[in-house]
Amino acid sequence: MQRKIVSGNEALALGALRAGVKVVAGYPGTPSSEAVAFLLAKKPEGVHVEWSANEKVALEIAAGAAWAGQRSLTTMKMSGLNVAYDSLISIAYSGVNGGMVVYVADDPGVSAGMAEQDSRGFALMADLPMLEPATPAETYRLSQAAFELSQRTGSPVFLRLVTAVAHSHAALEVEEDPPPPPELPILLERDIQRYTKAGAAICMAQHRDLIARLEKAEEVIGEMGLNQLTLAQEAGGLGIIACGATAVYLEEGFERLAKLGVSPESLSVLRLSSVHPLPRQEVARLFAHCSALLVLEELEPLVERELIVEARRLGYAGRIVGKLDGPFSRIGEYGLREVVEGVAAAVGLSLPKDLLRGLAAEGQAAARPITVCAGCPHRGTYLALNRAIRLLKFKKDEVMVTGDIGCTILGMNPPFHTVWNEVSMGASLGIAQGYLAAGLKTPVIATIGDSTFFHAGLPALINAVQHQAPLTLIILDNGWTAMTGMQVNPGTAEAFQREGWQRLDLAALVPAMGVQQFFQVDPYDLKTTTETMVQAIALPGVKVILARRECSIQSKRRGLRFRRVRVLEEKCTLCKLCITTTGCPALSIGEKAVVIDPAVCVGCSLCAQVCPAKAIEKEEIG
Amino acid sequence: MNDGTAQPFDIYLVGVGGQGVLTIGEILSQAALAQEIPANFYPTKGMAQRGGFVKAQLRLGREAAGANIPERSADLVIAMERSEGLKAVRFIKLGGDFIVWDHVWAPTAVMMEQAPYPTLEHLSEQVHSAGGRFHDLHPHDLPKGLSENIFVLGVALNNTALGRLLQPDLVRAKVEERWPEAAAKNAEAFRLGLGFYR
Ligand SMILES: Cc1ncc(C[n+]2csc(CCOP(=O)(O)OP(=O)(O)O)c2C)c(N)n1
Ligand code: SF4
Ligand code: SF4
Repeated sequence: MQRKIVSGNEALALGALRAGVKVVAGYPGTPSSEAVAFLLAKKPEGVHVEWSANEKVALEIAAGAAWAGQRSLTTMKMSGLNVAYDSLISIAYSGVNGGMVVYVADDPGVSAGMAEQDSRGFALMADLPMLEPATPAETYRLSQAAFELSQRTGSPVFLRLVTAVAHSHAALEVEEDPPPPPELPILLERDIQRYTKAGAAICMAQHRDLIARLEKAEEVIGEMGLNQLTLAQEAGGLGIIACGATAVYLEEGFERLAKLGVSPESLSVLRLSSVHPLPRQEVARLFAHCSALLVLEELEPLVERELIVEARRLGYAGRIVGKLDGPFSRIGEYGLREVVEGVAAAVGLSLPKDLLRGLAAEGQAAARPITVCAGCPHRGTYLALNRAIRLLKFKKDEVMVTGDIGCTILGMNPPFHTVWNEVSMGASLGIAQGYLAAGLKTPVIATIGDSTFFHAGLPALINAVQHQAPLTLIILDNGWTAMTGMQVNPGTAEAFQREGWQRLDLAALVPAMGVQQFFQVDPYDLKTTTETMVQAIALPGVKVILARRECSIQSKRRGLRFRRVRVLEEKCTLCKLCITTTGCPALSIGEKAVVIDPAVCVGCSLCAQVCPAKAIEKEEIG
Repeated sequence: MNDGTAQPFDIYLVGVGGQGVLTIGEILSQAALAQEIPANFYPTKGMAQRGGFVKAQLRLGREAAGANIPERSADLVIAMERSEGLKAVRFIKLGGDFIVWDHVWAPTAVMMEQAPYPTLEHLSEQVHSAGGRFHDLHPHDLPKGLSENIFVLGVALNNTALGRLLQPDLVRAKVEERWPEAAAKNAEAFRLGLGFYR
């Protein structure tokens, strides 16, 4: 064992290794990505680790491995669970042989974007156990416990982390290089009663088994002692149920509450690590001991509702304070304030008004809309698209440009204002077809990144081809899954694929899908890209433009510079058009002329291509 | 070494992607580990590489620490950019130290004079109303070419209670470990910071 600083995600990965995981498959998504990224970099012996094409595929790989008797882990952010759920419910019905853990990361407070989805709802819906740690140290333990629980119950087990835990870094004792996973026989079990859904009898029998496994899980969780109940000496006080990340604020809350006259010794606490199933024995003991209960859980009042049901069943009449009856919101994260205010509300204590409420000064801060990086290829694509729309004599408000997930969505922001909407991976294509089906006569353009296209764009493009929806699809192919931190995807250049992997070239794939009007452009070449777009948009049928140029963060890391650009001070009229049209962060206004920061510029030359005074000189390198 | 009596100390860091805000927190976490002081470091980068808002929270001296520093509770705020500093005001505690590196990273709309940008006086007023002690540092306080985040780190260690919790020499060693090639330059930035009084 070694003491070192690890993040919640790394703790989860190291816990899985220690538990003997053999197969790890995930799809990137903040805040979950570092678990697989860490393992891919670590290359642990005997462990198969991969970024899969999407979460559904990743989950199926983990399930196949677990059916074959091996331990497996799949990782995703909450949005990914929506994608994977179709397979998950079937696998839940069948159960697993090797331990299988499904890591899902939720994001209360939305620090990473997308929805404040509470994935605990999926555990309820799928009748699967779910564990949730409060700290990186607990993550390390629970990651191992989740495998044991899965193995002992034959059920896949959810491990849920919120951003504050997944991205927290703390020093803990970890085994950095546990032995490779044990050599277990590969199970080959032919059993259609278990592994198919052929007929009502089979499905209902599996459903019965599923419920039995969940009940077993409650028992095993009790045996493993995963939840901690501390009853106050004296009965009749307040009981607190702290779920997941909220538990860690309790201790701090006790300090503050003691100062306010609430003795911590008067409080009973159930620290809930198994958010599902609810440990009914411990809950019954709390009911018997406490006159009222306070539920600390972020997002939806799921545990709160279950407690109300249990209270009704057991005839508990005490107040249950939370979101349905109490001060808490379903929106945002919990912290110390919620602990203190919750206890105060439950015991009838009034608090000083500004306690834990600071001075809100951020209203005066300058708005900082995010834009693409210096040299980002997406900049060229959006500049060209705006020009093409103008050249085709349309107003911007007449041309629907659907957006997709990733850095590509930054086309919605200034200075581009090109993209109209953002739904989910691959949705740009479906939504575009919907506008066409609705009868929109002006051009409809869909924009999507390469990773997103592989993830969920393929079926949607197939649909457009079959029904000959006259849309123009622009695939912004930067060669990486960029926004989530530069993961490899199926289209990433051969040189960056792992040994033994094969790259899929979109330039070959898309025409093979029946797309007859296929174009490829370099978004650093504004003129040709614009002309190609003008031509494509005006054509009938399905048109696809592959805008291909590597993400500039990645090319810059390898020291690539494309051109040398230089402002000719005497020519610059300080019209600032380069800044207002490109928004490139390398450009700023100097005293006599615009200034290019050489440390930031990668030489894409887009600024030079938009300068009306030809005041930015570009020079080819090499 | 920590004798077990380390007072909890919460540091709230804000700035813009690319300023080394997260690095400050990482170095302090490493120093805390070496002194066996429990620490929880929680960086939030959003989209750091694109010059967006970055924040990080470092909670020192608590066995179990929630990742988020409660409002009105930070012993120290370090803001590496003026406007972003406003976002940290709600976290400063009464009597806490608020250090701002008065750098202006203007978004395009501000550059084009289409949007307002706060003055340093405004930030200072806000920090004072919140009960914090305001310390402003300026780019001209540091010779060009030296790392501002390392300088600010030095200032924080010398002017706030942080220097009583973490040993400056140890922090310096952690800086050196991280960038052995820039040891001399960083040692200089750190030294200037440590010696800095206003
Ligand atoms: C279902 C789902 N899985 C994962 C994510 C996380 N995610 C957000 S952006 C992104 C990367 C998109 O990559 P790409 O399409 O190549 O665009 P780029 O960022 O490279 O421009 C991912 C995986 C998500 N939002 N939804
Ligand atoms: S990370 Fe890459 S793709 Fe994303 S905005 Fe920056 S340069 Fe563009
Ligand atoms: S060439 Fe111009 S637009 Fe491209 S990165 Fe450099 S400054 Fe920015």
